[in-house]
Amino acid sequence: MELSPKLSAKFEKLQTSYPVKRSALIPMLMYAQDEFGYISDEMIDEIGRRLDLNNVQIEETLAYYSMLRRKPMGKHHVQICTNVACMLKGGYEVLQRAKKRLEIGHKETTQDGVFSLEEVECIGACTGAPAMQVNYDFYENLTPLKFDRIIEDLDAGKRPEPEPVISGALHDRNVLETPLISRRWGMKDSHKLDVYVMQGGYQALHKALKEMTPESIIEEVKKSSLRGRGGAGFPTGMKWSFVPKDSPKPKYVICNADESEPGTCKDRPLMEMDPHQLIEGMVIAGRAINSHQGFIYIRGEYRYVLDIVDAAIAEAYAGGYLGKNIFGSGVDFDLLIHTGAGAYECGEESALMESLEGKRGYPRIKPPFPAVVGLYGCPTIINNVETLSAVPAIIREGGEAYANRGTPKNGGTRMLCIAGHVKKPGIYEVPLGMNMKKFIYEVAGGIAEGKKLKAVIPGGSSCPLLTADEIDIPMDYDSLAKAGSMLGSGGMVVMDEDTCMVDMARRIMHFYAHESCGWCIPCREGTTWLRKTLERFHAGLGREEDIDLIADLAKNMLGRTFCPLGDAAAMPTISILKKWRGEFEDHLKGRCAYKSAGALVGAR
Amino acid sequence: MPDQKLIKLKINDREVQVPQGTLVIEATRRLGTEVPSFCYYPGLSLQAACRMCLVEIEKAPKLQTACTMVATDGMVVRTDTEQVRQARKYMLEFLLTNHPLDCPVCDKGGECELQDMVFRYGADSSRFVEEKIHRPEEKWSELVYYDAPRCILCFRCVRVCDEGMDVKALGVGMRGANSVIIPNRGDHLECEECGMCIDICPVGALTSGTYRYKTRPWEMQYVPTVCAHCSNGCKTTLSVRNHEILRANNRDLSGINGDFLCVKGRFGFDFTNHKERIRQPLVRRGDKLLPVSWEEAAQAAATKLKAAHDAGGKEAIGFIGSNRTSNEENYLLQRLARATFGTNNIDHHRTADYAGLITALGDRAADSLLTMEQLYRSKAVLVIGNDPSNQNPLVAWQIRSGIRHFGTKLFLINANEIKLKHKAQQFVKIAPGQEAAIFKWLAHEEGQLLTELVEQLVQLKAALEAESDLAIVFGAELYGAAIATLVAFGSKLPGKARYMALGDYSNSRGAADMGLLPDRFPGYAYVGDPHAHESFEKLWGCGPIPTTPGLTAPQMVEAAQSGKLKALYVVGANPLVHFGKLSEGRGKLDLLIVQEMFLTETAKAADIVLPAASAYEKDGTVTNTSGEMQLVRKGAEVMGPRSDFDLMRILSHQLEKLGLGKAFHYKTPGAVFEEIRKAVPACNVPLAGLLTGGAEATRAQFSRNGHAPYDIPVGLIRSANDTLFTSGTLGRWCTMMESLPEADT
Repeated sequence: MELSPKLSAKFEKLQTSYPVKRSALIPMLMYAQDEFGYISDEMIDEIGRRLDLNNVQIEETLAYYSMLRRKPMGKHHVQICTNVACMLKGGYEVLQRAKKRLEIGHKETTQDGVFSLEEVECIGACTGAPAMQVNYDFYENLTPLKFDRIIEDLDAGKRPEPEPVISGALHDRNVLETPLISRRWGMKDSHKLDVYVMQGGYQALHKALKEMTPESIIEEVKKSSLRGRGGAGFPTGMKWSFVPKDSPKPKYVICNADESEPGTCKDRPLMEMDPHQLIEGMVIAGRAINSHQGFIYIRGEYRYVLDIVDAAIAEAYAGGYLGKNIFGSGVDFDLLIHTGAGAYECGEESALMESLEGKRGYPRIKPPFPAVVGLYGCPTIINNVETLSAVPAIIREGGEAYANRGTPKNGGTRMLCIAGHVKKPGIYEVPLGMNMKKFIYEVAGGIAEGKKLKAVIPGGSSCPLLTADEIDIPMDYDSLAKAGSMLGSGGMVVMDEDTCMVDMARRIMHFYAHESCGWCIPCREGTTWLRKTLERFHAGLGREEDIDLIADLAKNMLGRTFCPLGDAAAMPTISILKKWRGEFEDHLKGRCAYKSAGALVGAR
Repeated sequence: MPDQKLIKLKINDREVQVPQGTLVIEATRRLGTEVPSFCYYPGLSLQAACRMCLVEIEKAPKLQTACTMVATDGMVVRTDTEQVRQARKYMLEFLLTNHPLDCPVCDKGGECELQDMVFRYGADSSRFVEEKIHRPEEKWSELVYYDAPRCILCFRCVRVCDEGMDVKALGVGMRGANSVIIPNRGDHLECEECGMCIDICPVGALTSGTYRYKTRPWEMQYVPTVCAHCSNGCKTTLSVRNHEILRANNRDLSGINGDFLCVKGRFGFDFTNHKERIRQPLVRRGDKLLPVSWEEAAQAAATKLKAAHDAGGKEAIGFIGSNRTSNEENYLLQRLARATFGTNNIDHHRTADYAGLITALGDRAADSLLTMEQLYRSKAVLVIGNDPSNQNPLVAWQIRSGIRHFGTKLFLINANEIKLKHKAQQFVKIAPGQEAAIFKWLAHEEGQLLTELVEQLVQLKAALEAESDLAIVFGAELYGAAIATLVAFGSKLPGKARYMALGDYSNSRGAADMGLLPDRFPGYAYVGDPHAHESFEKLWGCGPIPTTPGLTAPQMVEAAQSGKLKALYVVGANPLVHFGKLSEGRGKLDLLIVQEMFLTETAKAADIVLPAASAYEKDGTVTNTSGEMQLVRKGAEVMGPRSDFDLMRILSHQLEKLGLGKAFHYKTPGAVFEEIRKAVPACNVPLAGLLTGGAEATRAQFSRNGHAPYDIPVGLIRSANDTLFTSGTLGRWCTMMESLPEADT
């Protein structure tokens, strides 16, 4: 079929970029959709020919990812987030406004084909909630009025300037912050190589390549007590040391930039404003495990970030920080950025690898773990953006110095996003172990509009929620675990006294049911069952026995699903039921006494 | 398999010893303890998706899937605790949320794994009050229907289509609770139509176009028999109601094929009640074949045969047998020719040179012939010619399974880029007809070949020499003296070489084994061998049998056309098409008698047509292309036709009355089989295995081809070149197969 020269060139490049051709599938589908608006039968044939895949292999992969579509959508595809952070700040009002204004519903297109509408899951703009994307452009801090203005501009053929992370990341520094990996945020051209180098960038890489051995790098990372910033908090140095040294297979470094845990939006500015820091961290990681190829798997929604990182990679190649014989050390390292296409599950490391191999993002059976059998069956380490971004600092200032910024066994600083009902939502870098109450009240300014605190999601929507009485604790992995929750991915969402917790449980389950990959029975059926029951319950059709049923179903999923997604759906549900059972009982009496309940569900 | 280390573990307080590497679920099965599962399916990749097999393992913090957990020494497993019972119960509760409870009208009702599991492990009531996800049923092909709500997403179908069949026609669409199975052509399937997906489906999500809504499983009888089509000898279990075959599968995995069946084995039974079946004997009156009584037909056949015999002598009559009739029937036919009529003019349409292979192997034959099981377990496989994926589906399945399970290395020599190519370690492309020359070079480095080809052969030879055991499989491309060259090459290899010749029809091998050959007695004894002569003449109580070979099938047709042959007796064959020119018809034959199921071109030209039963309508034994003998059992009953065994028995009695030969006094095919086992030592297989539905390898005997080196002329071995959707002449009456769009490609 006829492709534009640009797309054709993109295809040619993608086809030859990966060790296994099929890996190019999802990026090819995404770029094809960008040009044609959707994936046609002819395009499937075309890509099939280029990648030696049959139609069903492409169809089934495509069908998995929520951003890919087989039918045309509007020229301006309006995607409004209503996930927890956005919901708390009026996301549903914006969605309702959109439906009224555009006179279309979810996944519908205006008759003239100009606009289409979709209610989407968390797009990683929580600190700027409520937010939406029009195609790949982000618009944050929306109100129905602001939404109207954006639509008017688009209608008039103008492109309102998108708002990359302004609200969330670029704020005045709080005295309690200790910027280490975010220290260049707000600097002019912080994403450019010369600024990075001027700021001492790539010195850690020089040190790692010239003065250190792979073993000593791993040793230093172990000393730093750096733990995975994606959510699980596994010690990074230990993970790296699991890679077999004697394996004849190639080894890979993957950066997990699929940031999709609701409430979390820190990786986006880390890549947008300091891509070289991540690149440097990845080359050092590559050196540590003797890998010569890295991949950054970035969620599909972050296209503008992908372009920024891609440009930084090109600069790094030109500057000799990537490619062959870096610093004349004899070390080679190549790096490729790879786009996802809309799937929370692909944040799970093994599902991400399946996705990177061009397949449906189903998780893999473990063991074997990725360090032994990972991407393309080869030893692979996979780390979060923030984790890898911390590596240059660790090498530069030494593991011990980094560790000392945090508490024992919880080294360093942590990027924390705080969203919801606080005065100063934002992305803050604080030492691990900071008191949560202090963080909420002193760093984020306390609860907005003089209200009282009701609940906190400490680190992304899969963490059990904490009540106002439970937040006087240090924020580190172990203390949160002791408090029955998790530090998670650093996405904190704060709820004030007016928040309906039944609605919160409903919205959380809506997300997990939408994102369940469908592989295992308890998660596939359990999340959907719970979503339906919670929707009914919240809409006022609850039965007394539903309260125990909800708790029971969540417990029946817990610990029995294939991957942690089932637990992620069960844990917040169980905690809400346990801690706010009274609100469920109130609902049975006929009406929800809190904000944002009832009608909005029916409106969908 | 090399000796594996054994380990001990405890399951529910009982100790069990298993080889290292055994999965916990398999270890529990050894004890007879059921751990339920949907997605776990032996032979397919592991999924751990259905979560039904969760068990307690001591020291593990949570329940573990028994299907992925490898048993370790000292492991303590519990499958009977409250926690495990609860997990199963609630897993089934989840599963039933979107599963329609339409069991009363579901085809699978009564044989549904989900039904059974809910019965055994499920809850007594449902707590689900929300709306179920509904989707309309989809027709994917004439044979495959998909009902998405019933689908429990165990992905067995996707895996068997990809991993097992290498077809990759199925995938998974959508995500989460909306996930569905999707076919490769959007709204329909384009595939091999093997029906493996239907068969492997634990629930009624995938149903068969030919079977759906016809009956309930408990209303049928199940008759295990052997597929009537290709030479691979797959066990197929006929589901029969009121003497009519409604379905065929092999769900009990009891045969050499496990659960494998191709489209022919699974759906190719509809010929049995095709409206064109001949149901009455026919006798020619002028240019018409008119129905007559059995008595009249039998008398006419005997009288005319006697007359032909008396007029033209032994050499003026010929017999062409079938490669689909049973061993017993083949044996009787050649006895009729040799003992009653005193002629060696007997042959059949040969599709592989079995005699050539057995002769070339000589006294090594017994342990050098490859069985289907050995093919699966061979470390390396060399396939010369043929296209197993199309012509020998079980052979291809065994090869693919070996590659998947044991990492078998596959080497191919072929003039065509056959489908197995992409599974091969090395593919040597040759010119059509070059097979013999290739082996001359490989065995003796004789002959001139292109340098490029020689380089490939050097590489191939080195690779084969490195193998400790090698399966050599070849098609009709190699025959006569070339097989001796192949065997010479195989013998020089350091490892053990075993051989399989690939023929085409369900009892091709049995036809050769039973002496439907002009130069061989049953068991391949040469007709000039005085010892064999003496014993068969004594056994049959007949006069001298000629010591020189008779006419081959092509020679008989030629002699019929030239007038040298006066009478031809044909059983289940269509020689006028296969060996003659249709325009010349029956030539100058005075008499043509045909035993057939349908009016083939040869039957249409006959003087007398005797309606014959199909393989699904009679008892007996058949032997597959790898020499494994199995029982065929009567499943269907069709009014009118009689088995070829019956027909020949009747004829022999009529002939005896007229003073020709001795009547056959066998009461059943079993009595013939008894005689075969005595007369042909190779067929003296262990009965226990055979009677319990197994396949028993015949042990072919060394048999010298007189004094001359063995060879046969070009054109005597003719491959049927069947596809997955054709089956020689019989295929024309397999309506379902013919109707598939894939059959045209």
